Amino acid sequence: MKPKVAFFDFSSCEGCQLQIANLEEEILDLIEIVDVVSFREVMKEHSDEYDIAVVEGSIMRPMDEHRLRKIRSRCKTLIALGACATIGGVNKIRNQWPVEEVKKEVYNDADLKDNKFFNVNQTKALNEVVPVDYYIHGCPINRDEFKRVITSLALGKEPVIPNYPVCVECKKNENVCLFELGKFCLGPITRAGCGAICPSNGSACDGCRGILSKPDVECVMDLLKRYDLTYEEMKSRCVIYNTGVFNPKDGMTFVRRRKK
Amino acid sequence: MTKLKSVRIITKKNLKDFVRNLIKDKKYETIGVKEKGIKFAYGPLEKADELRLDYDITLLPPKKYFLPQIEKLIEYNLEKKFEYRKEEKIKPRILIGVHPYDIIALEQTDKLYLDSQEDDYYKKKRENTIIIGSDIEKVNERSFAASMNTHVTDSGFDLLLTNIDEDYAVTIGSKKGEYLLSKHAKTKPAKESDIKKIKEKRKKIKSKYTKKLKVPKEDWSKVLVANYDHPLWENRSQKCMECSSCTMVCPTCFCYDVIDDVSLDLKDGNRVRTWDGCLIRDFTKVASGEVFRDDISKRFRHRFYRKGNYLPERYGFVACVGCGRCGIACLPDIADPCDVMNYLSHFEKSDDTDRFFIKQKSDVKEKGTIHIPRSATIKRTEQYTKYEMLFEIELDDKKPLGHIPGQFVEVSIFGVGEAPISVSSGPSDKSTFEIVIRKVGNVTNRLFKMKPGDKLGIRGPFGKGFDVKSFEKKHLLLSAGGIGIVPMRSLIQYVVNEKNRKKYKDITILYGTKQPSEVLFSEEIKEWCKVDNVKCELTVDTCADKDCWTGCTGLITTLYPKIKLDRYDSINTIAVVIGPPIMYRYVIKCLETLGIPHKNIYVSLERRMKCGVGKCGHCQINGVYVCKEGPVFNYEDIKDLPEAFE
Amino acid sequence: MSKNVDINVHHVTRVEGHGNIVLDFKKGKIKKLEWQISEAPRFFEAMLRGRKHDELRSITSRICGICSIGHSLASLKATEDALNVEISEQTNLLRRLAINGENMQSHILHVGYLAFPDLLKLGSVFPLANSKNKDALLKVVKLHRLANFMSDLVCGRTTHPIRLIIGGFTMIPTKKQLLELKKELKSGLETTKELAQFIKNKTDGFPDFKRETEYIGLSSKKEYAFYDGDINSTDTGIFKDYKNYDKIINEYFVPQSTALHAKHSRESYMVGALARFNLNSKQLSNAGKEVADLFNLKAINYNPFMNNIAQLAEYAHNIENSLELIDRLFDNKLKDEKPSDFKIKEGRGVGICEVPRGMLIHDYTLNSKGRCTKANCVIPTNQNHANIQKDMEKLVPEIIDNPKKDIELNLEMLVRAYDPCISCSTHYLDVKFV
Repeated sequence: MKPKVAFFDFSSCEGCQLQIANLEEEILDLIEIVDVVSFREVMKEHSDEYDIAVVEGSIMRPMDEHRLRKIRSRCKTLIALGACATIGGVNKIRNQWPVEEVKKEVYNDADLKDNKFFNVNQTKALNEVVPVDYYIHGCPINRDEFKRVITSLALGKEPVIPNYPVCVECKKNENVCLFELGKFCLGPITRAGCGAICPSNGSACDGCRGILSKPDVECVMDLLKRYDLTYEEMKSRCVIYNTGVFNPKDGMTFVRRRKK
Repeated sequence: MTKLKSVRIITKKNLKDFVRNLIKDKKYETIGVKEKGIKFAYGPLEKADELRLDYDITLLPPKKYFLPQIEKLIEYNLEKKFEYRKEEKIKPRILIGVHPYDIIALEQTDKLYLDSQEDDYYKKKRENTIIIGSDIEKVNERSFAASMNTHVTDSGFDLLLTNIDEDYAVTIGSKKGEYLLSKHAKTKPAKESDIKKIKEKRKKIKSKYTKKLKVPKEDWSKVLVANYDHPLWENRSQKCMECSSCTMVCPTCFCYDVIDDVSLDLKDGNRVRTWDGCLIRDFTKVASGEVFRDDISKRFRHRFYRKGNYLPERYGFVACVGCGRCGIACLPDIADPCDVMNYLSHFEKSDDTDRFFIKQKSDVKEKGTIHIPRSATIKRTEQYTKYEMLFEIELDDKKPLGHIPGQFVEVSIFGVGEAPISVSSGPSDKSTFEIVIRKVGNVTNRLFKMKPGDKLGIRGPFGKGFDVKSFEKKHLLLSAGGIGIVPMRSLIQYVVNEKNRKKYKDITILYGTKQPSEVLFSEEIKEWCKVDNVKCELTVDTCADKDCWTGCTGLITTLYPKIKLDRYDSINTIAVVIGPPIMYRYVIKCLETLGIPHKNIYVSLERRMKCGVGKCGHCQINGVYVCKEGPVFNYEDIKDLPEAFE
Repeated sequence: MSKNVDINVHHVTRVEGHGNIVLDFKKGKIKKLEWQISEAPRFFEAMLRGRKHDELRSITSRICGICSIGHSLASLKATEDALNVEISEQTNLLRRLAINGENMQSHILHVGYLAFPDLLKLGSVFPLANSKNKDALLKVVKLHRLANFMSDLVCGRTTHPIRLIIGGFTMIPTKKQLLELKKELKSGLETTKELAQFIKNKTDGFPDFKRETEYIGLSSKKEYAFYDGDINSTDTGIFKDYKNYDKIINEYFVPQSTALHAKHSRESYMVGALARFNLNSKQLSNAGKEVADLFNLKAINYNPFMNNIAQLAEYAHNIENSLELIDRLFDNKLKDEKPSDFKIKEGRGVGICEVPRGMLIHDYTLNSKGRCTKANCVIPTNQNHANIQKDMEKLVPEIIDNPKKDIELNLEMLVRAYDPCISCSTHYLDVKFV
């Protein structure tokens, strides 16, 4: 029996779902091994019966939380697809300011009371609302990683997501380290699995796959000092994808347990 | 000694032509050192002008051509029961510009990969590569190769180029090199003055090294064994980013992981190996989730000991060539062995250099291809508990496994992976053998779903088993805790077998589990007890009232006071202990109380074993490979190894 | 005309983002007809608040997964406009190559995966895999792969490009790679013509609907405008004062939509491939004209469903244009240039590009430290929402006598024809930060 898979999206740019469409011919292989019963972006059909739910995007409003909880109750396995779903991604940047302040600035004095479309809270990653079984990180996701997770699940294997920094992959690619070119790369504290694609293209890593450890541990502070960087600068860079890291209330699970 | 007749002279222009001709020669892929941004790296040459012999150091060493970052080992077809294909063809290549320290590093790698269990993928690549080395022209400020005497070399190359100002000297190192030179280059014989120039150049380069070692490499072992608990390891490692950049760029690091990839349509896939690093936390992680060497300070320290003490003890060379790459690559700058050794040189030394090592030969007999599993069929299965199942397996060539009690096999399921499993049946002439698995990880979970008739792959047997010959004429006290009874059974079946029983004196089997439901082989145990002078004592930690259990309750340690051994007997008793890590400390105390000397005690330890042949590096306990010197160890040998019972 | 029709399409499928169609027709009158946008607002302006000048591109790229290259380029143009950064000819050529790649990728995704199934009366493109028309699906896939290959090559990655930075590129393709691209493009051109022929032969085509509309887009004397051009309207002509674009684009709030609507000289206007075609069709390449002619598409065409054909014609044009661009790059000799130098200063910059769905505007104000104090993005789909609403209002009475399922399908096809990118369009204008 092929597992039934359904794709959903919340607040996102849909770039991660696009990566699945970008599997090109392999999309035909995908529909061989699983039954895609819902994928709003590319098909009309929809079913409420599925085993695996693949969800992209962050949660912004009570109506979104409600919809996510329904999805969670219907599936056995929930996979968070992409940075918006796994760690909040760019959608969490606005969490730096209170919701009311942001709303006022953006909508000015428009009367939005009782309008459920605009009933916005602080952005949440999926695991702040429901339990998540697997995470496919990245902004956007790495297609190979998606394939690996899906084939692992189809074979009854536990997918393996790297717990080590981007530097491992960057060194394997024989890249010139961006620190030597005067750039501030977040690779040493960011989870690998992307093949170090940004440093390999000459651009410093921005941490889109999630920070591995608390950002104020000794090894990080020492590195900043060594390269004449400040904690504020790092915090500012990390805010782009990892705002949650600096907010102790947000549910971030770190891989590295180190002394502060 | 650079002899006169093995040196030729080539003008700079003719050298360019030589390189051009090599590039044009379609028989080879010509690779050389090229610019890469502000650095240098080996890459395919398209034009002779791209070659930069004046480089100081490359980003990655030439090891990427012999142990690639990702290497396909096997291609398998999942639609058939057991079908695979091995990569056969290697296009011959020429590497131009290899510095002496990198040449020496390759020779060191040879010792590891071309040992009695040689890696045929590596071998093929080595055989199909022509090394055109080049004497160093520019020294990198982080390199200390001169202190390691790796800045020059007299062997390991097919040709060696030395810039002697107006021309290049070409030292011929092999017939292959000589042939290549005569076919593609215009050279003239060398004069005495040219040889002198080569010597001068090498001396001059030596003087350019600013980074110098304060302790010669011959003494690294002595320094390291005396400073295992030095606060330096803890202090330095606090800055470690756990990125393993140091091992990735190192010419003498070659640990690898093996992963099974499957295509999206699940029809076929590849088993690949990829670089792994001991600084990465999951390096030692086993299927049950346990991580050995969890603390970063231990991992940080491990790398230095492997290079400066463990590998030297095993192979006779210091596994560092002073190239300086790790010093360049390490962002917090803590990885440089020269800095570390120079710092430690102020402290004590010790002559006890084999403190972390065991000189022991493994029981592996065959050479064979170490990566390819032999096909085997499941003949019978029997589920014992919710998580444990027995498999009776027969190799498809119908030959007996030929194992010794205590050895293990790597059970291979294409597309899923491999797992090290102890052999649970005694050695015999039967064509089948038995394994008992506990459902913890990917492979064991899949195995649980398999049925008689299904196929799997077997590699091995591997490791050092029980030295049953040395057990003869002695009493045997066999203590098994929990799943430890599984490997123990292979020994028990052997010693209680009527062919062998007479060789041993009294046999006492102590077996403890957490609960009655976890007891394995209960019927068989009854049969063992029927054999002459074989006693079995079972105990469970706890027993719920409903369970029907007539045996003892309490930890296994409660069984030892019941054993009566006089002084003569205790020094003639062999004790074997197999169980969860926590068990060892307590049981060994009990054995000591009984007067059994440490050299009479044997243990079986578990670590993450991937290759089974001492190459991937995952199973190390200090300088010892559990897959080669173990999993069975004599307690006397291993008791002082800090990583054995952590 | 006394029937009652009640349609509520929740979350239209095969469009990017979340939109609903609501129709309540009772006793011969339209009680309610709404194109609703229910997408959660994403507050992009809040994301840009206080960010450094060199971070704006990678953040705004995340506005849309499909037009991330377009957003990146408009963002860079705005930043470079504010900081007075000049780019080299090589950078200009490469950026035009990038925008071609994105246009191709988006158009073939839309025509092939999203709109095509309607023509074959299918729910999605997947059933084609096992049908006698599998060949058509493979053509679509091949053309999609070609577009991705080109964008990957020039930008490092198609979705959320990496190599695009202020003043240039972090890395450029090698000559060898561009030669390979040329080969693939030539082959793709043949496939495009074949696919166009297949659609013409095997399908009934699009509904015949017409509503006179204003079309707005960029125009340039040099070529069919994508990367550079002046704002042009079929009603009022060329508008060169680009910094005051709000004289053309008037956005306003409607309660049924978390996205704004826009108008100019009429109640609504349209942007996108059809708009560009109507403004600049004479500048299409030969292959582009060929495809347009095959479907009898001539300027000015007032049928929004023909937007799909205009996209196919643009795809063919993009291929030929890209081949020209690559030749020009070779003529100029590819060099590893450093990105242009610049000084950080206070200023306001506006960057306008044609992205697949229409005219995109990024407007930034930077302070003396180069930090963003004010940001504004005018999204193409935003500009289309009002036109979708007006089109629906004209279409419904024309088809109200058809079965409910057909009305629903036609309304959905209408929305799909616009190729809306809804999640990009949901955010607001004109935000001031302190």
